[in-house]
Amino acid sequence: MTSSPSETEAGQAEGVDQAEEVEQADHPLQGFADEVAEAVGGTAEITFDTVKIKVSAGDWVKAHQTARDQLDLVFFSFLSAIDWAKEVEVGDPLKDEDFEERIEMLTTVSDLSAGMRVTFSADLPTEKPVIDSLVGVYAGADWHEREAAEMFGIDFSGHPNLAALYLPDAFEGNPLRKSFPLLSREVKPWPGKVDVEGMPEDQSSEQSDEPSTENPEA
Amino acid sequence: MVIDADTLRHMSEASVSVELETEDMTLNIGPQHPSTHGVLRLVARVDGERVYDVKPVIGYMHRGYEKLSEVRTYPQITALLNRIDWVSGYANEIPFMVAAEKLMELEVPDRAQYIRLILTEMARISSHMVFMASYPLELGAATPLFFALRERERLLDLLESVTGGRFHPNFNRIGGVKPAYGSGSTTRKWIQDLPAGFFEETTQAMVRIREAVDQLEDLVAGNEIILARTKGIGVLPPEVGAAFGVSGPNLRASGVKFDLRRAENYLPYDKFDFEIPTGANGDCWDRWKVRLDEIRQSCLIIEQAVAGIPSGPLQAKVPKVIKVPAGETYVRAENPKGEMGYYLVSDGGGGPYRLKIRSASFSNISILPWALEGVLVPDIIAIMGSLDFVLGDVDR
Amino acid sequence: MPEVVLDLFSNFWVALLGKVLLVALMIPLIGMVIGFAEMKLSAKMQNRVGPYFAGGRWGWAQLIADGVKFFQKEDLIPADADRPVFKTAPIWVLVGTVALFVVIPFGPGLIFRDLSVGVFYALAISSISTIGVLMAGWSSANKYSLMGGLRAAGQLIAYELPLVLAVIGSVILAGTMSMSGIVEAQIEAGYPYVIFQFVGFGIFMIAALAELTRIPFDMPIAESELVMGYLTEYSGFRFLFFFLAEFANMFTMSAIAVTLFLGGYWLPGLSEDQLVYLGPIILIAKVFVLVFAMIWFRWTFPRFREDQLQTLAWKWLIPLALVNIMVTAALKVLL
Repeated sequence: MTSSPSETEAGQAEGVDQAEEVEQADHPLQGFADEVAEAVGGTAEITFDTVKIKVSAGDWVKAHQTARDQLDLVFFSFLSAIDWAKEVEVGDPLKDEDFEERIEMLTTVSDLSAGMRVTFSADLPTEKPVIDSLVGVYAGADWHEREAAEMFGIDFSGHPNLAALYLPDAFEGNPLRKSFPLLSREVKPWPGKVDVEGMPEDQSSEQSDEPSTENPEA
Repeated sequence: MVIDADTLRHMSEASVSVELETEDMTLNIGPQHPSTHGVLRLVARVDGERVYDVKPVIGYMHRGYEKLSEVRTYPQITALLNRIDWVSGYANEIPFMVAAEKLMELEVPDRAQYIRLILTEMARISSHMVFMASYPLELGAATPLFFALRERERLLDLLESVTGGRFHPNFNRIGGVKPAYGSGSTTRKWIQDLPAGFFEETTQAMVRIREAVDQLEDLVAGNEIILARTKGIGVLPPEVGAAFGVSGPNLRASGVKFDLRRAENYLPYDKFDFEIPTGANGDCWDRWKVRLDEIRQSCLIIEQAVAGIPSGPLQAKVPKVIKVPAGETYVRAENPKGEMGYYLVSDGGGGPYRLKIRSASFSNISILPWALEGVLVPDIIAIMGSLDFVLGDVDR
Repeated sequence: MPEVVLDLFSNFWVALLGKVLLVALMIPLIGMVIGFAEMKLSAKMQNRVGPYFAGGRWGWAQLIADGVKFFQKEDLIPADADRPVFKTAPIWVLVGTVALFVVIPFGPGLIFRDLSVGVFYALAISSISTIGVLMAGWSSANKYSLMGGLRAAGQLIAYELPLVLAVIGSVILAGTMSMSGIVEAQIEAGYPYVIFQFVGFGIFMIAALAELTRIPFDMPIAESELVMGYLTEYSGFRFLFFFLAEFANMFTMSAIAVTLFLGGYWLPGLSEDQLVYLGPIILIAKVFVLVFAMIWFRWTFPRFREDQLQTLAWKWLIPLALVNIMVTAALKVLL
């Protein structure tokens, strides 16, 4: 998806969607986001109260080291990836055709005092995604990287033991890739986006009624 | 073995020398085992009673929730999510709901938020009661199980009266909680809120739970043998815990006063007055004690919420077919087991493009190889039990 | 009356047969009664009811039903197990228990065989059960059983010493090793020896719990860790032997404790003639008080870790028992 512009807090309706970054310093996290971006050398973005910092794949380990040592973000939350693909086997393809096919790495780290958290992201090519391992910086990345490796086919260089975590040994393929089919959908194809049928007596398509506030516990 | 002069000499030498040639044994603990909380397999190399190293093997319960979420609509995903950590079923749905509501920029009505909060705290007490029941059982004391589970039944009954399900409530809806229509009504005009008498029964249940917690504290905390089995065992330094991603009561027992109920604003916890219990040493005993104190704090929160619940609608106005606009966000919540978060990537359709589920127990047990090196075999059980994990949460 | 009975059984072989049959009858009966008591008492402590349906309202036939159930199960022996050892292990454990019945005085003259070295015999023969446990653990071809067997080896042998040392105080006070002789010495002294030998009594009860591998000393079984320890591969009637042996052993160990410390079949104020009838009842009542305490401990405490268990035995119980012996001997000589 295109990187969404910096959003303001809910309630501020003045945000006109703009493609470039506009300094809307109204968001309370903007200052923190800028500080992190400057320290690690990446670009900051705030999506719906989440600080997302994009770094290059080469700077991956260094950015995390800086985050841990200088910014006190010692808590390792998770590491995962998103497969942005144009051809999807399961589900609907993305509406917006204008995006780059890539594998986007994600990690989230946070501190243990005020609860500030940062999501780092880096882009990898889809065919042979390789990135450095974070086990030297955060010990917990070990299992998360093993999972990402088997689910997406990412190679983490420097990881001591990239064995499969969830999948049995004989499994072939990377399940969370968009090109990997879901077995139940082989049997019965994807019916389309509306999977919900109405109730039998409900013929009208109106929205849910104004609920009456008459309740026993009022 | 042939007993001849050579062997006899070797045997007698062996009894004198200090270094004895022994072979260590590889012991498979699990996947079916009374104490592994599900299908966890630990491949342990032991020498007598001393453990050299432990390799956890997980994935026996991997159900592929992240892949499944990509082919489900938002209301359907809730049914999947409360099966992640089945002991505290209700609490798993909350961060996902908040994430979807954030992307839709919905304002959840206050009454719905209070109801969510009450049920989440009940789920927390419920989960900690299971811990109170099973942990002494793993150490050998069978009686606290009955005391703790008896009180948990009260909460499960309350949960069932509100949501219809004891373990898998499916009570959340995007924009609030489920506005249950009165039974037999076909016109959908009258919304039935919480069942009659819910608040009185909840308050009585809180009284009984506090009594049971005191009883459990007397029974377990005063017991010399339990202290000998848990004090000083499995000490987790806070830096190691944070690097591995250990969260929840496990990290708080190591002295880190960090609770996502205060740090994040997914539910209106700032309106309530409660403490965050921490431990001093980070051993198994502290992890037990922190959970016991958390039950008390949850009782306090529920009592305050019941007293101050506002009236109002139960769900914000949402279209019949939910479509969440494009965007991505990460919402995390303080689940009973630790930090549970959902990284939701939406492309504007009826279901998510990618849902990353950050489950607490996955990170909690990644610490096992580090923590179980060089301990005795009975300590494996004590340390594993004190981390309080559930395999559904580990494997998703 | 006893003379008439003895005349009837004056033939040695008839008497022997009668005694054997009596013991054979008592062991399962006592095992069932104590097992039932454990089920009901633990239920009471845990806010449940316990067996309720078998045999009428109180579920008294539950253990009979369990016995029948065990007998009709398939006899499973693991493929890799050492068959002769596997099959004889339960027998050894039961032998140790049954043989103890021989020297328990149920009343004045009501003893199967009044050996002059009764105490020595009792403690020696109860060690045979240890061999049975080790055989079971080793022959099961299962790593869990082997670990249980190893733990059992350490524990049972370690706790033999406090068990033996604890009773020496009573033997010194009585001046004889014959079990009925000790009871008679307590009758003559007018007080049960526990009043002075409370240390010995305490050590004996703790060591007896450890010999029985009951919680808090059930590391060899350790249900939540080793599935069932050395008993994992046993099913059907072999398991029934172990099961019965444990309950019967609770009875015999308590009976020895009652005899040596609590005055056996005697209550103050009863004459010898009355003791012939009331003796067995008094003994069984006292034994059941101790058995109740054992059941109570089982459901209250968790289990010790193996090294804590060994520390307790070697660093606390044995020195305490030795001090007890020295003090008792000194006082006996001086007073």
